[in-house]
Amino acid sequence: MARFHELKVTQVEKTIRDAVVVTLEPSDPANFDFRPGQYLTFRRDFDGEELRRSYSICAGKDDGCLQVGIKRVDGGAFSTWANEDLKPGDTIQAMSPMGAFTTEFEAGQARHYLGFAGGSGITPVLSLIRTGLAREPESRFTLIYANRGVNTIMFREELEDLKNRFMGRLNVIHILETDAQDIELFTGRVDAEKCGQLFSHWVDVDTADMAFICGPEPMMLTIAAALKDHGMQEDQIRFELFASAQQGRLKKPVKSKQAANTDKLTAASVTLDGATRSFEMDKETTVLDAALANSLDAPYACKAGVCSTCRCRVIEGEVEMVANNALEDYEVEKGYILSCQSFPLTDKLVVDYDQ
Amino acid sequence: MSDDMTIADYLAEGGVLTSPANVPPRYRAELLKLMAIFVDSELAGAAGFADKINDAPGIKERIAAARIVLEKTDHAERVLKVMGEFGVDEDRYANSHPWTARLERDAPAGSERGEHDMRLSVFNYPLESWADAVTMNLLMGLAVGVQMRDFLKVSYGPLAEAFRQIAPVEQRHAELAREGLEKMVEEGRAVEIEASLYYWWPRVEASFGSGTPEKMERLRAWGLRRADGESQRRAWEDQARDVLGELGLKAP
Repeated sequence: MARFHELKVTQVEKTIRDAVVVTLEPSDPANFDFRPGQYLTFRRDFDGEELRRSYSICAGKDDGCLQVGIKRVDGGAFSTWANEDLKPGDTIQAMSPMGAFTTEFEAGQARHYLGFAGGSGITPVLSLIRTGLAREPESRFTLIYANRGVNTIMFREELEDLKNRFMGRLNVIHILETDAQDIELFTGRVDAEKCGQLFSHWVDVDTADMAFICGPEPMMLTIAAALKDHGMQEDQIRFELFASAQQGRLKKPVKSKQAANTDKLTAASVTLDGATRSFEMDKETTVLDAALANSLDAPYACKAGVCSTCRCRVIEGEVEMVANNALEDYEVEKGYILSCQSFPLTDKLVVDYDQ
Repeated sequence: MSDDMTIADYLAEGGVLTSPANVPPRYRAELLKLMAIFVDSELAGAAGFADKINDAPGIKERIAAARIVLEKTDHAERVLKVMGEFGVDEDRYANSHPWTARLERDAPAGSERGEHDMRLSVFNYPLESWADAVTMNLLMGLAVGVQMRDFLKVSYGPLAEAFRQIAPVEQRHAELAREGLEKMVEEGRAVEIEASLYYWWPRVEASFGSGTPEKMERLRAWGLRRADGESQRRAWEDQARDVLGELGLKAP
């Protein structure tokens, strides 16, 4: 279950113009024992509305610190705040590390890892590189790192340092979209054609044991397809979809101006999979049961208020939720309900499973 | 890297989602449902099999039965952990349903036990003898093997990763059942086993879902399903007939 813990900010360092590396000190380190490649989910209140954002850990396991990289996204409240206002001494809340973008590093292993990162997608890959090179003296990493131009490369110096420290075991290929490079292949975008060329001349996929890809959606698809064409199996490829895909800000639900009425019937309107159906329902029936009775294929599992499968959002009207062991306060504030536990209070109720 | 691509297009092209922060609402619901079905089935299956440890005829069989109970419970925990990332209270969930509850033995195949949990219907029926338990375990173990082929490719990365840990262990459970049956066949108990085969065959068969084609299409587009229930059922049937044939048993 999602629980938040306090962390103290000990350092905020600019890496490139619009990205910071934030060093954090947990009040209880046991809650933040991470695996390389995992991410932290932070929460913060912005004008009375809670926002949650996930950022990957960039530190290695043996670096002795907890660090995340946060790149500013246009219009992103959290990342802008982190880049402009966050300072040492502040406290911040985060959940314990999560994510499966990782592997077990063991000293006896001699492996060849491939890393693919687009922009700030480098963050978790860096954690893997740092940990892997330190823990597996016989292993090596090849990193293909795509950026718009030289001045947008996050952790460029850190990668150079790692190359020097682990001589011959880290190979970094920068692909730059706009800045020309000596080798033409390294200019442009990482598309299927470029992958094909890289894999036939520069990167030996045959010897690779595992690949980690973190970037925007099209890049992940392209690279995964190219790796599979070159014989890699599904279970050798790990993905992390980076933060741009996080849901945007949510608006507050519209509260019905109608006073709660004691009449037994409610005019309900339910949206599911893009279609809206209206029907009358009994105030003694849950929203879920009413939807099911009206042949809507509404999602549910436990029917006991613990799994949150039946979550939907109240757009208009009010309900009484008799049990809730799955939604958190911030979700409830935004109008989310567990439809299996919710009875209408108002004569009109509009809910949406698609939001 | 400024390409815009909707999550729906990304999923339709085989993309992988990696955290609760990037799953769309309807995908979230179907994913949680899929996980609930798996967790409930593992917990109900383990709960039913726990009783059979005491019916095991020898020390090896006792260990095998105890191990299956332990490992199925462990598999439930692994998937429950992924559910936990979506806000599910894992401790409460694990005790939210009476996992040992069963229907009468003669209840018709495909019966729902009620609205209490999401276990596959095959876990609604009580096991009888040791031979009966091993027979059920083989048929269902093969069914799980077919399902796992789909599960390993599920588009939610952390769940696919959990299934990668689970799949080989589940496969071993089916092998243990096969070894158990082989031994009993050698002891001349084929008739008893075949009676159990007739009982369990339609019940395992009924656990391959039969959703509407529209729903299947949607789950497929989201990368939550690949094969439909009917093709999975056929794959299971072919495999079960082969295995039973090798054991010298008559399939129903």
